[in-house]
Amino acid sequence: MTRVAVTLNVMRNAFRAGLADYRAIFTWKSWLAGWYLRVIAQVAFFALIGERLEDDEKTMYLLVGNSIMIAAVVGVFSLNMTTSERGAGTLPLLVASPSSPVVVFSARGAYLAVDGALSALAALAVAGPMFGVSLPWPDVLAVVPLTGLVAVASYCFGTFLAGLVFRFRSVNNLVVVTTHVSLMAACGVNVPLSFYPEPLEWLSRLLPLTNGLLGIRGVFGGADPTTILGDAALEAAVAVAWMTVALATFNRLAARGRRDGSLEFAS
Amino acid sequence: MRAFAAGFRLQLRIIRSDPDYFMPLVPVPLFAVAFLAIIEHAGRRDLAEYALMAPVLIALWALSLSASGEIVQGDRWSGTLEPGVASPSSFPAVVLGRVFAVTSVALFAFVEVWIVGRLLFGIPIEIHHPTAFVLTVLASSAAMAGTATIMAALFVLARSARTFQNSLSYPFYVLGGVLVPVSLLPDWLEPLSAGVFLSWSAGLLRDTLQPDAIRDVPLRLGVILGLGVLGFAAGQLLLHRILRRVRTSGELAAA
Repeated sequence: MTRVAVTLNVMRNAFRAGLADYRAIFTWKSWLAGWYLRVIAQVAFFALIGERLEDDEKTMYLLVGNSIMIAAVVGVFSLNMTTSERGAGTLPLLVASPSSPVVVFSARGAYLAVDGALSALAALAVAGPMFGVSLPWPDVLAVVPLTGLVAVASYCFGTFLAGLVFRFRSVNNLVVVTTHVSLMAACGVNVPLSFYPEPLEWLSRLLPLTNGLLGIRGVFGGADPTTILGDAALEAAVAVAWMTVALATFNRLAARGRRDGSLEFAS
Repeated sequence: MRAFAAGFRLQLRIIRSDPDYFMPLVPVPLFAVAFLAIIEHAGRRDLAEYALMAPVLIALWALSLSASGEIVQGDRWSGTLEPGVASPSSFPAVVLGRVFAVTSVALFAFVEVWIVGRLLFGIPIEIHHPTAFVLTVLASSAAMAGTATIMAALFVLARSARTFQNSLSYPFYVLGGVLVPVSLLPDWLEPLSAGVFLSWSAGLLRDTLQPDAIRDVPLRLGVILGLGVLGFAAGQLLLHRILRRVRTSGELAAA
């Protein structure tokens, strides 16, 4: 087998293991009654603020922002991959194996990007009509790939962060929660980017949700297709950049932990 | 009462040695920024008390959820559940004391939102009815501890406690009127909302920040406490059933 074929084989098996994990966590009933109910409630929680403000435009802004936010929330859950491996007792085996840890982790958690995009779109499809937000057909179809991009970019960002916190298991949950709320506060989910100081606006452009969400708002607002494509290209660039940084740092950080004995293999 | 106090003291020691318990307090300022930004952008400073109290209630709920999720399950994993159950003290009372200790940590959230409101947005928290405010906070903490006892029991049965924890956040924030009044919910949801103590706590807490006289304070405090007692009774019943089941099935280790 060539090196590429071996890597692809590792990725395929890791992805299948990830799917098996997912099936162990959720049945379709617990997904609908547990996870999906929470997703709808999260979107409704923010959309209701628009209702409270008696402003239909605000309701739409909050509803769209927080629906797409779900894709980012789930994507960033890739941060939990190292924790779950540690909990399952498989982390030492993974670190000791000749395969690259980042290839295994990124492939194993790839289902999160799919789940994130589907959850976000399902939230938009149900919560939209609930709050009287019209989803213009067939323009709304353009939202599907854009949401997918947001989910992938968030997942790449989460994989990068997973490398950073790999050696510091006690802060893992803290980083997940803080990342979620930071994305919500800084990426134009609830208020336009212009509300914040300009440096923060630029910084948020480097985060995985901002550009894709701008593109999606552009679709609903009837923006010029080139503007939407520009936002999509920026979102894709952000995804590639975070995955590149993850690939460049993850294995090095894991190797350093292995050398100095700072990796904790049990939860 | 002694079992409750012992549980409270034990949990305070655990909290001191494990900074993870303070984790739900970390996103509180960010939630406050996100909510205040919405209000400020809409030019509706009159709704500031909603944006300021919501992160506090969210922290209270999140802390209790995380604690209740860990307490019984953690005892089970560490092997301390068996001696705890075998001891003559009431096990649910110990759990209640431990959850109460965790919920008291949520009080730090008030300090956090006060700082964010004051320093970042120039919005001070003015408590116009301090007695009612303190009583509401105490009653809400007690109700949270009672409600969390149900969850402590359910987490033992749940297939994946973390997933279960995740799912119990926003649905209760909506039903509890944490950020918007429950009157905005569809009519069919309002009776459900009345059964969630958060909806009473949120309304009363916001009222304490308004200069107008507050109506029916004793009644509303009574409902919060009553719902907490109901939660504790249900949690106690569930815990007894679960413990009987694991004793009968031999899942409770003997050595």
